[in-house]
Amino acid sequence: MTTALGGTGASISTQIRDAILVGLPGAEVQVTPGSPGHFGISVRWAEFADKNRLTCQRLVYRAIAHLMAGDRAPVHAVDRLETSV
Amino acid sequence: MDEATRQKIDSEVQSHDVVLFMKGTPQAPRCGFSATVAGILDELVGKYKTIDVLSDGKIREAIKEYSDWPTIPQLYIKGQFVGGCDLVREMYENGELHEALGLKADAVELPKIAISPGAASALREALEEATSQEPDGGHHIRVEIGADFQHALSISDKKPRDVAVTAGALTLLFDPASARRASGLSIDYVDGPDGPAFKLENPNEPPRVKSVSVKDLAAKLRENSKLELFDVRSQKERDQAQVAGSKLLDRPAQDYIMTLDKSTPLFFMCHHGQRSQQAAGFFLSHGFSNVYSVSGGIDAWSLEVDSSVPRY
Repeated sequence: MTTALGGTGASISTQIRDAILVGLPGAEVQVTPGSPGHFGISVRWAEFADKNRLTCQRLVYRAIAHLMAGDRAPVHAVDRLETSV
Repeated sequence: MDEATRQKIDSEVQSHDVVLFMKGTPQAPRCGFSATVAGILDELVGKYKTIDVLSDGKIREAIKEYSDWPTIPQLYIKGQFVGGCDLVREMYENGELHEALGLKADAVELPKIAISPGAASALREALEEATSQEPDGGHHIRVEIGADFQHALSISDKKPRDVAVTAGALTLLFDPASARRASGLSIDYVDGPDGPAFKLENPNEPPRVKSVSVKDLAAKLRENSKLELFDVRSQKERDQAQVAGSKLLDRPAQDYIMTLDKSTPLFFMCHHGQRSQQAAGFFLSHGFSNVYSVSGGIDAWSLEVDSSVPRY
C-alpha cells in the first residue's frame, strides 16, 4: 500500500516536471510532493527576468493546467509555487 | 466558456472593487486556500464580494479560462486579476495588497504589551545567547500572532514593515498583522510540566474550547472539589467507570449550567475526548468563555491518574 502511494506520487511529480519543461524549456524544476495530490513547485528560469510574479506563476500554471483540470485531476493543489531567475 | 457566463463574470468583476472567487463562503469556506484569502480580506476590508464557485459549475470552469489561472481562489481588485492564495499572502505580508486596496499599510497603532520581570529576563538571556553565537546578526524578539491566535516567539532581524514596541526595557517586533492582534498582550514566564515556559495571554483572542490534561484536571479537583465537571457519556458507561466528583450531563444538568455565570470554568469529559469537545463547543456557543474539554477522557484518566478506574 505504501509503495503504491509512493509510486503514484513520484510519477505525478515527474509528470509535473516534464510538463513544465515542455512549457518552459531549459528551466530548472523542483517538485516536492506533500499530502496526496498536493505539491510544492520551485522553478528557476532565465526568461522570468523581465516578468512580474503573476506572469511567472501564470506561465508555470499554464504548463501544468492539463494536470489540474477536472474533478479527478492528479494535481489537486499547488501548496507553494516559487519562481526565480 | 459561453458568452453569457463571460458577461456574468465581467459584470461581477467590474461592478465591485474587491471580488473573490472562492470555494464556499467566508463564514464557511470549503477549502483552506479560500479560507486563507478570505481571512486576509476580512482583516483588511470590511466588505467584499464573494462568489462561491462550488454553487455554480459553469463559473467554476469559466473563471479559470477568464483569468488564465487554473486554481481557486482568485482575487480581483478594481477589475484587475491579482492572483491566487500564494500571491495574495505574499502581497499581504509585503504591504502590496494594502496598496492595491488603497489602504495605508503602516496605519497600525502601537499595541500595549505587558511583560513580567521573569519573562523579560528570560527574553534578555535568549537575546544574549543569540548574539554570542552570531555577533553580526541583528537580534530582536519577534512576536507572531496568527489569524488563529497561535502565538510564537522567536529571535530575528528587523523587517521593513515591522512595528516595534518597547516593553520591560525590551524591543519587541511585530509584523503589521500580528501588531493588530496584539493590543493588551501579556507575556509571562511560568513553571509548567516540562519546565519553565513563556505564557502569552491575549485578550483579543476569541474564546475557544481549551484542552486540559487528566493530570491537570486531577490537580484542579484536589484544589476545588466543587469543580463543575460534567460527564457527557451515558449513565451505562458511567456505571462502568467514572471520575469521583463528575456529574452526568443530563437535561437538568444542562439547565443548571445555563443558570451559571458565563465566566464559570466548565469541564467536560467523555470516553476519549471527542464527545466532550462537542459538548464544550455547545456551551461556548452559548456564551460561556471558560470551557474545557478533558483530553483523552476517562481512558486517559485510568492510564495516567487512577488505575483503579477500569478501562473499557
